[in-house]
Amino acid sequence: MVSMKRWVIVGLLSTLIVAAPLAAQGTHITAILKTLANPFWVAMQQGLLEEAINQGLSIEILAVPTEQDLEAQLNLCETAILRNPSVLLVSPITSLNLLPCLQKVVELGIPIIDLDGNLPLQETIDRGIPLVSQIASNNFQAGQMAAEYMIQQLGGEGKVIAIEGISGNITGMTRVEGFLSTIQENAPGMEVVGRFAGDWDRLKAATITADVLTAHPDLRGIYCANDTMALGAVEAVIAAGKGDQVVVIGTDGIKDARDAILAGRLSATVAQLPYLMGVMAVQTAVKVMAGEDVPLRQDVPLLLLTKQVLEEGTEPLLQYIR
Amino acid sequence: MAQEFNRRERNPTKQGAQVLSLRTKMPFIVHKLSHMERYFGRLETVLALILLIIGMSLLSPVFLSPRNLMNILLHVSVIGIVAVGMTFVIVSAGIDLSVGSILALSSVIAASALKLGVPGIIGIAIGLGIGAICGVFNGIIIAKGKIPPFIVTLGMMGIARGLALIIAEGRSIYGFPASFLVLGQARLGGQWPLPALVFLVVVILGHFVLFHTRLGQYALVIGDNEAAARVTGIHINRVKIALYGISGTLAALGGLVFASRLNAAEPTAGLGYELDAIAAVIIGGTSLFGGQGSVLGTLVGVLLVGVLRNGLNLMAVSPYYQQVAIGLVVIGAVLLDRLRGGREAT
Repeated sequence: MVSMKRWVIVGLLSTLIVAAPLAAQGTHITAILKTLANPFWVAMQQGLLEEAINQGLSIEILAVPTEQDLEAQLNLCETAILRNPSVLLVSPITSLNLLPCLQKVVELGIPIIDLDGNLPLQETIDRGIPLVSQIASNNFQAGQMAAEYMIQQLGGEGKVIAIEGISGNITGMTRVEGFLSTIQENAPGMEVVGRFAGDWDRLKAATITADVLTAHPDLRGIYCANDTMALGAVEAVIAAGKGDQVVVIGTDGIKDARDAILAGRLSATVAQLPYLMGVMAVQTAVKVMAGEDVPLRQDVPLLLLTKQVLEEGTEPLLQYIR
Repeated sequence: MAQEFNRRERNPTKQGAQVLSLRTKMPFIVHKLSHMERYFGRLETVLALILLIIGMSLLSPVFLSPRNLMNILLHVSVIGIVAVGMTFVIVSAGIDLSVGSILALSSVIAASALKLGVPGIIGIAIGLGIGAICGVFNGIIIAKGKIPPFIVTLGMMGIARGLALIIAEGRSIYGFPASFLVLGQARLGGQWPLPALVFLVVVILGHFVLFHTRLGQYALVIGDNEAAARVTGIHINRVKIALYGISGTLAALGGLVFASRLNAAEPTAGLGYELDAIAAVIIGGTSLFGGQGSVLGTLVGVLLVGVLRNGLNLMAVSPYYQQVAIGLVVIGAVLLDRLRGGREAT
């Protein structure tokens, strides 16, 4: 009896293998993303998948469980290239962790497309890993768009702050620099009273906002480098009874932020379009396979979402919001 | 053949009456357990590994290619080296949650030294030294402070991770001399990745230490019944300090291989490796409550997870399902042991 149970279990273990779906053989492209436990990458995965179906192309989309699995992503890359993809789309977790694999990819003559701009273009050339294209949102421009809306809403006057992500993180820094430089150049009447690191965290951004409101009760504007922090800042602003006095702008365009904009709590967000990034990546890969030239750097459009834009629903880029 | 293993006694030293004569009885215990299972963990796990290899080779045409097999060995080498250290701690009924952080700290410190111009071999020695210091520190606090290893190593997990981030200023350290890159990137005979050979050497040495030295045998006895081991006059504190020292040193070795392979030291490297290592050790048949286990079993456990992950990657299975599959293997492996009459809650 015991012995039979044992073999049943061994059998169950081995059915794991059989239950695993068979992957497509032959011509295919491979995309190595960061993690699918994040809506940004899930939206990109949808874009990749749906455009690949449109183009009649076979695609393998791979990812690791968390954004900390540096070595697992490298292993994934080394395994994926054994199946000889025609084009490799990659989004390395750090600018360095996939380099040993990408060197081999170059040796195999497989073209590399960077998704989301995690490989600095100049450094990849210096290290002998030329990219055929880099498809990413322009983070500096995201900050600029937020600043332009802020200036317009406040009439070019009042105190503002900016909250970036983890101190030293390039994405958050670039967005905030785009915001601050635009304010300084275009709105001499506005005063920047602080730049903070909110660690991408809702609660930290709320705490910062509450403290700043104590020091500057006449604060008029807050720009946050992601929506999670913007939602935290909004709560602190409303708790301080200044909901209709302070303009809060986020970045990313996540569902919660869009709901908050429609509810009149959050003023606006600069939406990234990861779904469109996926679509553009597949289209670029198709051109590369056909031997056509593609631009080295492709900016994925950004979209300023306000209550008006969301309610009207006429903006063509809205179709790419996921 | 499998039938006779069902009836063997797993844990003959559990009875209090036998305690005092434990030392003299040890050779007897050694012979009572089947050598095969004592050395390799559960035979079912070996069988599951073989089945998995057959299955994967049927499902993926490139699975059995020499390059993929070499890749698997390369990919499991870091976690495998760490898991061998973890085996020593777990057979003594301990746990080491700090291995992932020690891995990062020692690689970051070695990388900083390499950046100052020290030769590769000295960088490696520094890294191993840091790992040994962290491990011995764990061991001293656990042994002399009488604090549960879970708590001490949880503390060290935070300390070492924080120090790694401080020293690296939160960034990666890139670009090492060729003398250091050999460790992670060299391929012997143009094919065999050096990290895999380092891992296999660690396994062989680990096996020897666990079964053919007093340290290893004492570790097993302490894990089986610490009070009894104390009565027999084993220097429990010394043994524990040595075991955590081994675990820290091997975590550091894993970190050096990692850094050399990437040509970069990342302060966030090795997050969650403690759990991967524990999983491999448990799959390999080592009891989480100590007293029994084997290094070759851990090798099988590491390979089982590595082959499963490689095969699922080759078939481009979503990472969501991969986590489920590996979780099922962990539970399944221990369930096997229960169903065949192993001791409770292994």
